[in-house]
Amino acid sequence: MHRCLRPNVNHSENYREALGNALVIALVLSALISQAAAADDSLPGLKLHAFGTGALNYVASGNADFVRDLSQPDGARGGQWTGKIDSLVGGQVNIQLSEHFEIVGQAVSRHRFDDSFTPELTWAFLKYSPLTNLDIRGGRIGTDFYMRSDSRLVGYSNLTIRPSVDYYGGLPHQYIDGMDGAMTFELGEGLLRSKVFAGISPEKFPLENSEPWNISGSRVFGGSLDYQWRSWQFRFGYAEIHHERDLPGSFAQLMTVLSTVPGTASQAALNALRVGETASQHYSMGVIYDEGPLQVQLMVSGVTSDSAFFQDAVCGYFLTGYRIGEFTPFAGLSWSKSTPDTLQSTRVPALDAAIVNTIGRTETNQHTFTLGVRWDFHPGMDLKLQWDAIQGDTNSLYNYRWEQADWDGRMQVLNMAFDFAF
Amino acid sequence: MKIALLLVSLFLPISALADLVLIAHIHAPVDRISRDEAINIYMGRLRRFPSGESVQPVDGPAKAQFYRLLVNKELADINAYWARLVFSGRTSPPRSFEQNQAVLDYVSANPDAIGYVERTELNAKVKVILDMEH
Repeated sequence: MHRCLRPNVNHSENYREALGNALVIALVLSALISQAAAADDSLPGLKLHAFGTGALNYVASGNADFVRDLSQPDGARGGQWTGKIDSLVGGQVNIQLSEHFEIVGQAVSRHRFDDSFTPELTWAFLKYSPLTNLDIRGGRIGTDFYMRSDSRLVGYSNLTIRPSVDYYGGLPHQYIDGMDGAMTFELGEGLLRSKVFAGISPEKFPLENSEPWNISGSRVFGGSLDYQWRSWQFRFGYAEIHHERDLPGSFAQLMTVLSTVPGTASQAALNALRVGETASQHYSMGVIYDEGPLQVQLMVSGVTSDSAFFQDAVCGYFLTGYRIGEFTPFAGLSWSKSTPDTLQSTRVPALDAAIVNTIGRTETNQHTFTLGVRWDFHPGMDLKLQWDAIQGDTNSLYNYRWEQADWDGRMQVLNMAFDFAF
Repeated sequence: MKIALLLVSLFLPISALADLVLIAHIHAPVDRISRDEAINIYMGRLRRFPSGESVQPVDGPAKAQFYRLLVNKELADINAYWARLVFSGRTSPPRSFEQNQAVLDYVSANPDAIGYVERTELNAKVKVILDMEH
């Protein structure tokens, strides 16, 4: 059943060419940025920045496509090499208009929902800072659902090659069109930063054997509290998504069938599964300890949904690293576990099976061990080696694409990456 | 502890142990700030003096030593930290100068600026607001 839910993408071999183009763009961009930075004094209000990752992944075992998150339609499975999971390049321009106003625009080329590396506008906002401790931004802004989720694409800022798939993989939302506001207060010996955001999603996500799920128009809002005290940082966050419409493809077909089957059970199933005009809630908390060469991160989140299609889930990760000279070895453990809703039988066995399989598409039950090392060999650049071992059950499907019939929930991935940021 | 530091210092180049001080314009609204307040300003968490006025930190040539003293971090960690803040559109890192004299000139000319230089290079237009102790 999972196979009929596969992404409908054109599996061209051209991605290598696209990846190559992206890396060439990265190098050219780096050179341009360096020159621009050198000439920065002539335009003190204008700053250009770039970041990127060139990565190579080898999926040693596991018969499903390993992807970075659900915004990617495919990745690589056991025995395959790929560079498209983590490779990306981004450019950013900051224009300081005055003491209180700044414009920021950022575009990123990455493997995205339509199997292309078409650049996307990820940030484009006007920031107004009327007080020294208050920032208000309007325009396109990155999603800040979880701690550090608004800088997920910046490999150079992270210890690992990619943010934990168990934790962030089910969160494909990258940006919204809207506003946010953040205010910082002195509290005790630390700083409390409160933030609220609201907007409309303009994004699309790849789906199985259908056109992408267009979530544009979905309302998103939330907020967070961060407390920074010396080497400690604590955060509590909440975000809510009001889905504008149902999923297309096999999900829509199932809904159509349910709407034509008489009986209260089928109508109840129809109402329970409906995604359009329902909401999902994301609760999260995180703790970071960052002192000298040691850094430790622990984050936990819970996701609930009004729709039975999206299983409620609890995810988390623990990551620690210790710098020794230019090298920072790191180790992590992450997990994700969902709980499916059980709907009343429609008394049509085939329909019941379709409902169970559809709900099963969002099931996750796995944990991942990660080991790696980061080498800061040059200012603004690093090289990373990383090994991920995923242990899950056969029904753990949510964070993958293209599961094979013999998918057993286990996967090993070897990764190497070059990051830069200027 | 001091003996240990002395022993360590024997194996470090003299320049790595320069006597750094954090300075502000002679007419800046504060005379001293705490190390925690300096961390908040330099790490982009809250860029204002304790008295509430806006403050603009600048980096100088002793950047590596300064951040080691301030937050016990290497420059690679600081660069990664700033990459996160810059590319999430939050704030920008301190403006950077390659010469101590340029830091002194900038702070001397801007009442809202702070910077760090070696104590031996101080002039009458700036004042020390924090001693960067080893």
